[in-house]
Amino acid sequence: MDNDFFGSHNDGYKLSSRLLTYQVTSKIFLTILTVLLGLEMKAQGPPIFTDTPIMLGVQGRGVRTFGNIISKENAKAYKQVLVVPYNITRKWQVGTIVPYLSISPEGTSSSSGFGDLKVFTKYQLYQKDGKGTTLRGLVKLTETFPTGNSSKMPTLGSDAYQTTLSLVNGYVTTKYGIYGEVGYNIAGNNLPDNLIYNIAIGYPLLPQKYPPNQLNVFLELNGNYVFDDVGNNLFLSPGIQYIAGRKLLFESGIQIPLTDASPTNQQTNYIVRIGTRILIF
Amino acid sequence: MKKLLILLFIGLGTMTMNAQTDTSPLEGKITIEVDGLACPFCAYGLEKNLKEIDGVESIGINIDEGSVLLVIAKGKQISENTVLEKIKEAGFTPGTIKKESDE
Repeated sequence: MDNDFFGSHNDGYKLSSRLLTYQVTSKIFLTILTVLLGLEMKAQGPPIFTDTPIMLGVQGRGVRTFGNIISKENAKAYKQVLVVPYNITRKWQVGTIVPYLSISPEGTSSSSGFGDLKVFTKYQLYQKDGKGTTLRGLVKLTETFPTGNSSKMPTLGSDAYQTTLSLVNGYVTTKYGIYGEVGYNIAGNNLPDNLIYNIAIGYPLLPQKYPPNQLNVFLELNGNYVFDDVGNNLFLSPGIQYIAGRKLLFESGIQIPLTDASPTNQQTNYIVRIGTRILIF
Repeated sequence: MKKLLILLFIGLGTMTMNAQTDTSPLEGKITIEVDGLACPFCAYGLEKNLKEIDGVESIGINIDEGSVLLVIAKGKQISENTVLEKIKEAGFTPGTIKKESDE
């Protein structure tokens, strides 16, 4: 529940064309997944939309920022996000997420300003390393504070304290890598809770070496099921990432909706993400 | 035969103890197997930690082999335990250490 302005209640389902889109994109996803798993895959960088259990490199000693260009049927929006993680120990991380939003609905005035601030903590539950492989899992607790202005439309915040508990897992080898995340969001303030689920795989286009010079492609499925009969939101998210040396990473991806529980005329057309991660510590 | 078996057990026991307590100083070139080294983007911390060891001249990380080559400056020695601790601190699992003379 990023922003209540975009709507959270489902009036009904749109049509056979959306069902057809879902079926076609599902087949494309399965085909690409099968091809990728059949190839000799090498390790890659962190996924673009899914979290990673590996709290190393830019994931533990750097900052991340990205911009989301959001196209809805009834609005355009831009969201710039700054993520600052900090490793207290090698197994325990804390961090903060600061969003800045600009929303331009069709036919009414626009709003811009800071959205809801999030703080999170991650703790690694297990780590099983082998030669060129690592299996890691962590638990993540995220608290959202209603710092975004919700007193005027369009709202920049949810006006609710929200708590999300997630499990993030990943298995990365020099031949393939797969990441998964599942979380439960307690939304508060009479908003419906939701179940968050993400899966990601990646494939490098350049030979891997250190210092890194990597070009990686990703394919992700990002979903959240909103309770109280609202429905399911699911995005197919292809992306590309360039790791330029030890300390710099550029990435971009697009989220295409497969199912959208938003009311008719408020549905998402696409979300484009462009971002960077910089290692500073 | 009994004496031979006793000698064999003593010999094996001594070898095992030596393997567990071999913390002889390292010098020259050494190669360390590092488990969990599966992604180049996460190896920076490993490089940074190993560079902090006094006496380490250069570091080479081989992702494909899952190993790190340490070149120790001439006339310097570093402790095996220090190397192992630095690898663990970086979030990886240290494996076998091979000294240049072992190869």
